Amino acid sequence: MIFRMKDRFGLLTMHTPIRRCLQALNREPQPTLSLFKDPSSLRSFSVAAFSNHNISSPLPIFTNSKPASAFGKWHDPRYFSTSKQDDHTKKADIHEEIEDEDDSDDNYDDEDEEDYEDDDDDECVSVSSSKKVYTAEEKEAEATAIGYKVVGPLQKDDQVFKPYEPAFAVVQIGSHQFKVSNGDSIFTERLKFCEVNDKLILNKVLLLGSASQTIIGRPIVPDAAVHAVVEEHALDAKVIIFKKKRRKNYRRTKGHRQELTKLRITDIEGVEKPQIELAEKPSESAKKEQEKVPLSA
Amino acid sequence: MNKKKVLELAKGFRGRSKNCIRIARERVEKALQYSYRDRRNKKRDMRSLWIQRINAGTRVHGVNYGNFMHGLLKENIQLNRKVLSEISMHEPYSFKSLVDISRNAFPGNKNVVVPPRKVTF
Repeated sequence: MIFRMKDRFGLLTMHTPIRRCLQALNREPQPTLSLFKDPSSLRSFSVAAFSNHNISSPLPIFTNSKPASAFGKWHDPRYFSTSKQDDHTKKADIHEEIEDEDDSDDNYDDEDEEDYEDDDDDECVSVSSSKKVYTAEEKEAEATAIGYKVVGPLQKDDQVFKPYEPAFAVVQIGSHQFKVSNGDSIFTERLKFCEVNDKLILNKVLLLGSASQTIIGRPIVPDAAVHAVVEEHALDAKVIIFKKKRRKNYRRTKGHRQELTKLRITDIEGVEKPQIELAEKPSESAKKEQEKVPLSA
Repeated sequence: MNKKKVLELAKGFRGRSKNCIRIARERVEKALQYSYRDRRNKKRDMRSLWIQRINAGTRVHGVNYGNFMHGLLKENIQLNRKVLSEISMHEPYSFKSLVDISRNAFPGNKNVVVPPRKVTF
């Protein structure tokens, strides 16, 4: 914004910087809103405003009362707050302040924020967050669309964790497919409607296999289920997103941690799991393998 | 401290690039650029690796990758290349059943030549 002001008043470069800045302020109260949102520009602004003490004319009074308040309490929580809760509540407060003091309608950001506030006041949801309140049916529908179903929390006396069985399944969650077996743990995208220690049934099973049978679904096997337990909701390791254009003075750094869910597979249903006795010769059990083709997908 | 972070990221670099900040900063920036690009390349590379593995697995049974995938498509089997490569490595019998299904669905070109297996003495 400061660069734009210099262009506009290019002929007036002989003026003191403070007068130029204040003229801009008097003419257009709007740019100050976006101007003061950026702390770096705010800093340079304050330096320009108060460094020059040789002005003959008295300081013009700010027509907009906002700049004074912005200078006074410069604690924009968007940049300093660490907890998300504080961000939402403080953002709501600041938007209320902006509404009170700014009377013009040229700032489109403000208009959008006002609209959101009007809609969300009934639900007591803060302005900037887009938290949707899901009903139970919507949760079920979305969960089944992704490919899992929440059964319930794990009880203390549930014997869910069995020893390893030589059977595998290929299960699809969202758009990722996993070849899982009893006792495996997999990392998936964050599953929204379950907490830690919840039992899940993954019902989008594409292939089942064991020592004696292979069941191939077209595309999914009906009446097959893979049981899993949510082990944790975690964040992935941080990746640094670094963009640079050489010789153009452009360099951006950003960090990102993806949200994951760790599932522990406990049971695979729908395949025969034959008990292989050691007395049998290994070649016989290998030849027992059949192939069962389901009638309909 | 940006210098400290840069030198942490420069661990394992060659020569003065791991010790001296002016050189390390350049190499670290290049390394971060490469990692940004390669996060996208990794997806391509992995898919290419899976296709190579599936190809190898199917040619053992006398079918090539293209005909195999075409047969699976015809049968509406929606297994992706990642799990197909895993099955071809670890579950040979299940993979053979998949190849048989694909061969039934799409027998393929009569002109496909399976390279003769070398008999070792």
